[in-house]
Amino acid sequence: MISLRNILALFAIMLSTNMMAQKKKPFSISGTAGVSYEYYGLNRNPSSWTGFYPRKPWNQVRFTFAPEIKFGKNFSLPLNVNLSTKATNFAGPYSGIGKQSFAQYITNPMNSIGANPKYKWAELQLGTQYLNYSNLSTGDIGVFGAGFDLRPGDFLIKFFTGLSQQSVNFFTGPPATTGAYKRRNWMFQFGKAEEGKYEVTMNFAKGKDVLSSLITPPPFIKPQEGFTTSFVTKIFFAEKWYFNFEGAHSYYTKDLLQPLDIAGKSFKPFIEAHTSTVRDWAGESAIGRKSKNFDIGAKIKYIGAGFHTPGYPFLLPDRLDYTLNTRINAWKNKTNIVASIGQRVNNVKSTTLRAKQFIGNINWFTQFNEQWNLNVSFNNFGFQSAGGINPYGIKNVSNDFGINPSYTWNNEKVVHLLSLNYNYSKYDERDVITGAVTSNNTHTALLTYIPTFLTKDVTPDFSFMYFYNQLPGFKLTLITLSSGLSMPFAKKKATFRGQLQYNFSKTNTFKNNNNLVASCTIDWKLSKKLTWNNFISSNYFKYGNEIIPNGANYLESNIRTGLQYRFGK
Amino acid sequence: MKKLIFISLFTLVTLTGFTQLNVTLFVNATPPGTLSEWGNRKDVLTYLVNYRASGAILQVKIKTEIKLNDGTVAATTDLANARTITLADGNNLFSAADVLPLGAMIFNGKYKTTFRSTGKLPSDNYQICVTLVNPVDYTPISEQRCRNFYLAALQLPIPVMPANEMTLSQEKAQTAIIFRWTPVVPRPSTPVVYHIQVFQVLPDQKPMQAFRSNLPVLDNAVTGTTQYIWQPQLSMLSFMQPADSSANNAAGITFIWTIRATDASGNPLNDGNINYDGRAEPAVFFVKPGGDHPVQSKRKTKKN
Repeated sequence: MISLRNILALFAIMLSTNMMAQKKKPFSISGTAGVSYEYYGLNRNPSSWTGFYPRKPWNQVRFTFAPEIKFGKNFSLPLNVNLSTKATNFAGPYSGIGKQSFAQYITNPMNSIGANPKYKWAELQLGTQYLNYSNLSTGDIGVFGAGFDLRPGDFLIKFFTGLSQQSVNFFTGPPATTGAYKRRNWMFQFGKAEEGKYEVTMNFAKGKDVLSSLITPPPFIKPQEGFTTSFVTKIFFAEKWYFNFEGAHSYYTKDLLQPLDIAGKSFKPFIEAHTSTVRDWAGESAIGRKSKNFDIGAKIKYIGAGFHTPGYPFLLPDRLDYTLNTRINAWKNKTNIVASIGQRVNNVKSTTLRAKQFIGNINWFTQFNEQWNLNVSFNNFGFQSAGGINPYGIKNVSNDFGINPSYTWNNEKVVHLLSLNYNYSKYDERDVITGAVTSNNTHTALLTYIPTFLTKDVTPDFSFMYFYNQLPGFKLTLITLSSGLSMPFAKKKATFRGQLQYNFSKTNTFKNNNNLVASCTIDWKLSKKLTWNNFISSNYFKYGNEIIPNGANYLESNIRTGLQYRFGK
Repeated sequence: MKKLIFISLFTLVTLTGFTQLNVTLFVNATPPGTLSEWGNRKDVLTYLVNYRASGAILQVKIKTEIKLNDGTVAATTDLANARTITLADGNNLFSAADVLPLGAMIFNGKYKTTFRSTGKLPSDNYQICVTLVNPVDYTPISEQRCRNFYLAALQLPIPVMPANEMTLSQEKAQTAIIFRWTPVVPRPSTPVVYHIQVFQVLPDQKPMQAFRSNLPVLDNAVTGTTQYIWQPQLSMLSFMQPADSSANNAAGITFIWTIRATDASGNPLNDGNINYDGRAEPAVFFVKPGGDHPVQSKRKTKKN
């Protein structure tokens, strides 16, 4: 584990490197570096009450080092180092990990250490890289390893290999560790592209868990292997039109511990079929026209029920989405309309349980004159599915309507902005057993006033919000009063920005809850390149009598201080 | 002649064995849709064979058929490739891995196509029938036991509101954010617990990086409904976020959220989910001064 002392030492070395670099002309550095310490505190009263959980680690040190070093015209070396001292993994393969080995530390998604030296069209990729080859092959995972991105002429040749997760042994705890197999990833792309004209690529992505990587394998997580091939084409034509298409095929073994499947179709040498291997197709396509005042586009996306790719582990399979969207600017750009309409079908392969989801929204903004603006929006989505073994099918419908007029006026000293925002939301859910429909209605009203002083440096803002939610047997009222203030001081070398927020909430006939959130930042420019950033926040919440123990309360406190250095001129 | 003696002896042993075998089949009425998961779970299928041998050894094969209510056979055991099992005296317990060895099952017609591509069978009411047969001529040596079950491919929730890449008003979001999602389909017989989890994306993080590495700013469970009103109690001003104090407030704050579906005991609903954690595909939303805007674009990550 890298300690705080080591991080600070590293930070000092980086700063001195920068100072040396500035003395040599063909050698330049830009970018930033920073180190910060964050304290988090949570006091619950009574202390035995556990109704509110900590949202941050008690102490955390973060180090950022992201310079781009340039040697002459053709060679550049961007570095990207982000390190934190304490593991906070909650979801994913490192979930619950406490003490980490060095290998686990550097491959933990909370950290990244990467370098991308580039000479003309050849780029070497080292360390942690989040590479997006295409929408259906790989793009959602960070891989620690090595590879390259070559672009000779119009050609594209990319390759990367490494680990997307280190092995983590299962441990019942406390604290419990979910556990994960070590996963190796490979990705390869080749193709041809000309910017603004076309792109044609073939993509290959593979991931495989290492069976022998664990001493205590997780009981509920199985080692996996996947291989995906995709073909992408993008064409831009007639200046404003575009057409994109991607077709992909995947093989995915959900459990490598299950026996090989002789009858199953393997794709050797890339993947050998087991009895848990599935293979399926996915595809997406879009066509549209983009211009200054008018956009129109249509998209369709199909993900087969057995389509899984190592590069997008959370991709939801078995669905078909199609949407039509448009944007219109009119009336000398004083009216802007953005609208979309579409449908998602889930369980496409299951004829008896196919679920349909309709989504439509429109947002209409008009500036009538220099004083008056009006924004109107409407969102709708509906979800419907057959009942299966239940007497009634699922049917959920949501409708949201919003209207937001704003008025601006000014004199020689102040510009005033007054904005009112009202939103009505209705959400109906049908019970699949009784068929009864529950309506969940919400009214939201927000009034904001912002005076901008033309002769002073003080900028305050004020807002009031009323929120009311009602469904049978339940009522929730929220009222928020909020005010902010921003002002420079110390001969404009420092800036203070603060916010005070009071929340009143009341559920049914229970006594109301009270909440006060106060936060401020002070940013001090120590020199042209070095800034000292400070943040202090506290959140006090006191329950009425809706929970036991009555009157329970908590105080969250958060203090952060850090230095940020900007390289270059 | 030798062959005739062998067949006679074998028939004798078989007939004797029939009377000495008591078989019982337990099948979960709503097993996972993904057939390969049957073998990983003990509660899906149990086949109990009580064999009173008085010292004699009996070798058998398990013949399994999956049928629809109208008698259409969706899958049957390829007995030539099925494993020969030696029964021990007393109770012999077999799980789904023994009774439904996917490597030795023959799927028919559209069921073959669906199984090969998805690992599942189309949602429907099925019947599973199991018989012990002799390993030489496949004649039955036990009574056939059949059980009905309903197979449905479980779909995890989809985050609907805030939609992916939607921008919320900073002034409203600091008081309350309404989350809505689609329910688990089909609705399981036991209540589904939806754990709504929200992660703040720090300025130097990718959304998926934050999802896999940060503590959630919200982790709350709701049962039965698909809406949750969150009172964040957080400063939603972007210059108050870590490592970005000098940021322009207009840049906003990014969050990534998901729904984790579990049963009442906290076990994730995992049918076919390759992450084994019951988490839905996460969605990203932004909180910025000004207002609620519809989805800006569909992509979550910038192409490199």
